[in-house]
Amino acid sequence: MNEQEHIDKLMLELRRGTITIGVLSQLSVPQYGYSLVTLLNEKGVQVEPGTLYPLLRRLEKQGLLESLWDTNEARPRKYYKLSKMGNEVYEQLCKEWEGMVASLDHLIHTRKDEEDGND
Amino acid sequence: MEMIERYIYAVTQKLPQSQREDIGIELRGLIEDMIEERVGDGEVKKKDVEEVLIELGSPREMAIKYRGTKRYLIGPELYDSFLIVLKIVLISMFAGLGIVFVIQIIIDPVEILDHFVGLIVTLVTAIPQVVGWVTLVFALVDYYGGVQTKDLGLDKTWHPSMLSAIPDPRRRIKRSEPIVGIIFYVIVMVFFAFSSNFFGVYVFNDGGFREVVPFLNEAAFSQYMPLVLLLLAIFIVKECLKLISGKWTMKLVGYTVIINLLGMMVVSFLITGDAFWNPEFMSDLVKSGIVTEGSEGYQIGETIWKNSTRIIVILLLVGLVWDTIEGFIKARKK
Repeated sequence: MNEQEHIDKLMLELRRGTITIGVLSQLSVPQYGYSLVTLLNEKGVQVEPGTLYPLLRRLEKQGLLESLWDTNEARPRKYYKLSKMGNEVYEQLCKEWEGMVASLDHLIHTRKDEEDGND
Repeated sequence: MEMIERYIYAVTQKLPQSQREDIGIELRGLIEDMIEERVGDGEVKKKDVEEVLIELGSPREMAIKYRGTKRYLIGPELYDSFLIVLKIVLISMFAGLGIVFVIQIIIDPVEILDHFVGLIVTLVTAIPQVVGWVTLVFALVDYYGGVQTKDLGLDKTWHPSMLSAIPDPRRRIKRSEPIVGIIFYVIVMVFFAFSSNFFGVYVFNDGGFREVVPFLNEAAFSQYMPLVLLLLAIFIVKECLKLISGKWTMKLVGYTVIINLLGMMVVSFLITGDAFWNPEFMSDLVKSGIVTEGSEGYQIGETIWKNSTRIIVILLLVGLVWDTIEGFIKARKK
């Protein structure tokens, strides 16, 4: 494996972990699968429909999301929205995430400072 | 567009019945949305559909993502035991076939080439069978028993106090014990599969090998053969369970009781059928020239023959009962 392949693999793992938070963050208002894909991509979070659709179903099964079929439009669409539990989970996750970012920032920056000091 | 229908069909047919319709509608909506984004109000071309489907990925991968369950037959917890058992069984099968080959050469040295070809043919058919059966047994163990070990590993409330005690040495099952058992059963199986005539008295004279005086009644025995092979296979499963468990537990004793009861039933069934032992054994011995009728040797031989056939059966039954009791006693030790 060369450098780029290692980076790709690690990024894949990182993205897999964060995508759930990204999805939950957008579902305080109901969205259907593809509108969510577009929304997330617009905001710079790359996600493929082939990953997102199964993820939505899984989150619904776990009780974090609620769903509703809308059959009034040209094609039937399944809208997903945060459940009460999903909302609480999301808020807790945000706190955890911020903590994680802070600690990692700290780690990364101390190391940079040390390197700068050595120069 | 037929291609879309094909795609949806390919994905949904790999999913549980209950989810098919729902996921089908959802997927169709997604694909139509994606196409619409590409072409807007323009005409939909085949190329557009293809591009969208390529972006979604192969139906197999898509179905796997929807299912999200385990995708293996034998999990990491059992994989090591699986490899060990597979190796043991293969090696003992080779050993058994090797011994059979040697016996065949002794019995019939002229046909050595035929025997060799026979050996190769047997290997070609037997290896996949052996691998298949061992895999099947382990896949079943994984399916029915593997879940609990996995749950333990993921259990968040785990505490060091929950570590199970190192089994009392007296409760432990030495690895060599089931391994020897498996080797023994496989070799016996190979022998039976070839000919029950291999069990007998080998008669040699000055020129070399003359004949085998068989212990068993081959004519009658051939119809019991599948039953015997099946029983041996079940015994091998029992040894595998011992090897995996590594210590006596009540669950293991339970399996042992069931399998040994089955074994005792089959053995009793075989023995009570009058045609199990070779009824002509003594006269065959006389014919082969080892003993002459009416001599002292003949009487000793007859006594040994009559008693040993009975004793072997008793030993076999006692052995099975003892195996069960031993397991029970050991499993109870704290």
